Amino acid sequence: MTIDLSITINDVPRLITADLRSTLLEVLREQMLLTGTKEGCGVGECGTCVVLADGKPVTSCLVLAGDADGATIETVEGLAADGELTQVQKAFVKTGAFQCGFCTPAMVLATTAIFRENDQPDIEDVKKALGGILCRCGAYPKILEAVIEVKGEGT
Amino acid sequence: MTTYVGTRAPRVDSVGKVTGGAVYGVDVALPGMLHGAVLRSPHPHARIVSIDTSAAVAAPGVEIVVTGRDFPFLFGAAIKDQPFLAIDRVRYVGEPVVAVAAATEAQAQEALDLIRVDYEEMPAVVDMRAALDSDAPLVHPDLHTYKRGPSDIVPHTNINTIYHHERGDVEAGLAAADLVVEGEYSAHAISHVALEVHAAIAQYDSGSGGYTLWVSTDRPFLLRNELAAGLGVDSSRVRLIVAQVGGSFGAKGVPVAEAIAVALARHSAGRPVKVEFTREEDLVASQLRVPAIMKLKTGVNRDGLMIARSADVLWDSGAYTAYTVGVAIRGSQTIIGPYRIPDLKILSRQVYTNKSITGSYRGYGTTQVTWACETQMDEIAVELGIDPVEIRLMNGYEEGDAYINGQIMHSVGLRETIERSAVEIGWGSVEREPAPNLRRGKGIATMIKPTMTPSSSNVVINLEQDGRATVVCAAPEIGSGQDTVLAQIAADAIGVPLSDVLVPATDTLLSPYNGPVASSRTTYHMGNAILSAGAEIREQVLSLAGEVLEVEPETLELRDGVISDLDGKTLITLKDLLAKFYGEYYSITAGARFSSANSPLLKADPGEEWMSSIFWMLCTQAAEIEVDTETGVIRVVKIAAAADVGKAINPMTVEQQIEGGVVMGLSNGILESFSYDNGRIENGNLADYKVATIMDTPEIVPIIVESVHAEAPYGAKGVGEPAAAATAPAIGNALYDAIGVRIRDLPITPEKVLSALGEIPASE
Amino acid sequence: MKRLREFDYFEPTSLDEAIRILVAAPSDARVIAGGTDLVVDMKTGRMRPSTVVNLKRIPDLSGIEDANGATRIGALTKVDVVEKSAFVVERHPALAQAASILASPLVRALATIGGNIGRASPASDLGPALIVSSAVATIHGVDGSRDVLVEDLYTGPGTTSLVRSDIITALTLPARQPGFGSAHVKLGKRGSGTDIALAGVSASLVIADGGEIIDCRIALASLGPIPFRAVESEALLRSEILTEVLLEAAAAAASGEAKPIGDMRASAAYRTRLARVLTLRALHGAVESAGVEVAA
Repeated sequence: MTIDLSITINDVPRLITADLRSTLLEVLREQMLLTGTKEGCGVGECGTCVVLADGKPVTSCLVLAGDADGATIETVEGLAADGELTQVQKAFVKTGAFQCGFCTPAMVLATTAIFRENDQPDIEDVKKALGGILCRCGAYPKILEAVIEVKGEGT
Repeated sequence: MTTYVGTRAPRVDSVGKVTGGAVYGVDVALPGMLHGAVLRSPHPHARIVSIDTSAAVAAPGVEIVVTGRDFPFLFGAAIKDQPFLAIDRVRYVGEPVVAVAAATEAQAQEALDLIRVDYEEMPAVVDMRAALDSDAPLVHPDLHTYKRGPSDIVPHTNINTIYHHERGDVEAGLAAADLVVEGEYSAHAISHVALEVHAAIAQYDSGSGGYTLWVSTDRPFLLRNELAAGLGVDSSRVRLIVAQVGGSFGAKGVPVAEAIAVALARHSAGRPVKVEFTREEDLVASQLRVPAIMKLKTGVNRDGLMIARSADVLWDSGAYTAYTVGVAIRGSQTIIGPYRIPDLKILSRQVYTNKSITGSYRGYGTTQVTWACETQMDEIAVELGIDPVEIRLMNGYEEGDAYINGQIMHSVGLRETIERSAVEIGWGSVEREPAPNLRRGKGIATMIKPTMTPSSSNVVINLEQDGRATVVCAAPEIGSGQDTVLAQIAADAIGVPLSDVLVPATDTLLSPYNGPVASSRTTYHMGNAILSAGAEIREQVLSLAGEVLEVEPETLELRDGVISDLDGKTLITLKDLLAKFYGEYYSITAGARFSSANSPLLKADPGEEWMSSIFWMLCTQAAEIEVDTETGVIRVVKIAAAADVGKAINPMTVEQQIEGGVVMGLSNGILESFSYDNGRIENGNLADYKVATIMDTPEIVPIIVESVHAEAPYGAKGVGEPAAAATAPAIGNALYDAIGVRIRDLPITPEKVLSALGEIPASE
Repeated sequence: MKRLREFDYFEPTSLDEAIRILVAAPSDARVIAGGTDLVVDMKTGRMRPSTVVNLKRIPDLSGIEDANGATRIGALTKVDVVEKSAFVVERHPALAQAASILASPLVRALATIGGNIGRASPASDLGPALIVSSAVATIHGVDGSRDVLVEDLYTGPGTTSLVRSDIITALTLPARQPGFGSAHVKLGKRGSGTDIALAGVSASLVIADGGEIIDCRIALASLGPIPFRAVESEALLRSEILTEVLLEAAAAAASGEAKPIGDMRASAAYRTRLARVLTLRALHGAVESAGVEVAA
């Protein structure tokens, strides 16, 4: 069975006919071929499937396709749309805030969302906000350095 | 003189990773691809009486259904004991029994429900000590008939590996010692939890009888060879195209998803078949760290000098040996620690059990044995009233000491790792207790690890007309940044800008042989190969430039893409030179092979050279913890982690490895564990198998020690594994310092802390 | 990836329509709110509903507002909104605290307060906080609407007194009395506190100027088959003058009332121990939130 969805993805309104029982993650990866968003566990425990839904980081593996109808979704591919890395992405590169890179799209999106709310976030609040995204390589210290780098640059 | 080596060059894989453009094994999709799913054993040990797949075969979308009888091949890195799919019996809960390929993954998964397997349960052995009993059920009664490498087994038992080593006279040494400390320690099974699960696509070509696989693996050639050997085809008939790897930590060498994909592809009439594990399958049915029970007995003198050590280690390979044999042998050697001990005895045995397969895990046995060695070291220090830092300095290896096989040790920065981590943690100073129920303590632990020796790496470097240098080598980027390090070495070896160096993805059809990206070996071995090939390229370029400029090549320098005279005056750029003359010289290519095999550094006592290592890695960690005596919860406040890396080609990537290793070691030591019920893992999911998050991460201070290795590229050794090993014992020793509680069995849990304090009864 | 099975899917635009669909559907039909429990259950195979009814298009099920001093929270209000709501933070700190450590912020942005109650996990984070706040659930069903105290909803692990055509529409927390304070404390596997509770305790106190405890509620989670009130412990405190010794006695009593199981997450002995420790911490938190100091 299929369902027709209107979803805005990375600023582009899309009409998608999706398998009714698929999740938003499946729609993004397999129908839209936006493979930057990853699956790590499928049950909302690892955070690698994070996308921004109406600006908030959510675990897309838990969102039914039907539930995403009408949503505005940003994936990692939407950030450096014109080829220029964003400030957050550049900070991640500079401080080496990734190793295997599998969690990096999620970490970059979640960090981006933090800075959209507040350009001088408290480090303890940043940790809480990123606490749901696993990084098995242990890049956490350098992710925090990237956050400090972005804060240091100001606006 | 270097431009890039020694600098914090940004990672060459940066853009793909921060933009989501990087393609991992799980991201690969091919036209006409089928999707696989696996029906797995619900029993730890059972005969397969019958399998009825007829309903599955007829299910919507299903193209292929394969059982072990359809594909009765065996593989195994050391002992060929493992079927692609279970043939006549199952030996662990989760063992693959039937594989299905369908047009969609959902159809394949649903078809599994339609398969009927009749099992006849058999007695299972699920405890490694029980596996030694003379009347224990045998997991592999025909072990003695299996093809295997040179290691020893005990036929007609569950013992698939037995190894011993002696030096001096351990009984005399123990008898003569002022104090003998004895203890039993254990390390538990844990999962790598690489965020990218195991996945593979396989395609069979009936014309050539060969297979192509798209995989994410850390050892393309070893995996290729193991699959080919299992399938009974020449190794070059199997081609591996390797994507970016979303973490390995030792997980992605065994044929896991690959084995299923190959079995299905064989019957799919040429259509590629993708098998992507669920996280649950990844946790239960790939491989885990090898659990170990370690008995250690050490004789010391009153002044703290170690005289004798006797070790008896028992390892649990689970149902098949996979990569465990090397762990049981190499891993048990490092239970001696980085200490001069004249009288030694090591007995190591590994048994099969009817449980999930275990294998190589960041450190290859060192995270387990370091726990035992360093916990006992502190027990010795406490009994003698000697400072734990002092006793390690007193006994620790120095340059020129003999290893346990007589190898003279070179590049030994141990002392500096101990001293600097102790200083950083504020050793000897006591923190004020923040509250009556919060107690603080500091602990230290050190470790030693060899690298697989001998091993070799090959590289081919092509210099393109536009000045781009392509370093063709089978060294997949698994996250440790080694492609960046190799690019830096290549850039300086040839003399081109780093931005002009490309380390492309691996294709075993096109790349020369390399050993695994494992054992922390890549910088050293591939780095040395690149130095040779790069120097040759440089020589060819300068020779060409000499012709063009009509000077002797010896009067020229190539650096950062510019050819200059010896005073640094620019004469011509590399790009201009190549553009001008590329028609006459159609390519500048050089290849090199580096092997550690015949190095004089490996010389050791006769017959024991195989135990030598071309370089030794030393790492010390000092931990400060705070324990809540009401709840038993440990909060790790700070870890100072010092690693002797020989030379940091890229200090930033070295820090990444140290920090990452500490986070993993902390997580392994205090957060992660599996709960088994008669061999079945009960918490095979991430809701109940907990891994450290950013909130669990302490302040980590990485300290780079550079002892400079004489045969290494710029003196650089390796760093990927060591930092994961010393964290748990450093925390355990800090716990003792805080509240006098000694834990000997990993993981360290709040319940164990409280029951050691007598606050709650000990649980199972 | 783990794939879902086929299901029929509806997005009714009114409560009546939703209830009609649920009545007509097979008995395994399920309502979906945030999806953070249901979708997980569908992936693990714990539930395989043939019909899923999404409530998101029904108006007035989301939002937090004042109702003459009471706080009304629509059942579909996201947990992260509950966590940050000025009303909740100021009036009912136990609920704000419980919301702040439920799973991760990623899940809280999807999960709903109504969904958490309906799921009725014995380890529920929000359940005990609602209980000590005397929260009332408004439920719409085939017979119209009714109000039920949250503490009376739970019937067993994972079950409530709701029938499958019932829909929770709102949670109402009554106006606070002067001297009210509340707090929630939980221990999970990891220090971050966002894991499934090994034990969780909420406490609320109403303390008069002279230090007399006028009212007191203590609710325990993961310490029995359902979130429940430690009534004996409460009785020790009610009408007494607040002292540290008294709070410790109440904590010890709560530990005695706990009936935890031992499972792969924690032993019964550890949970019993945590009941005492966390109850005392929750009581301290409630006292602090009431703005009072404790005499020794």
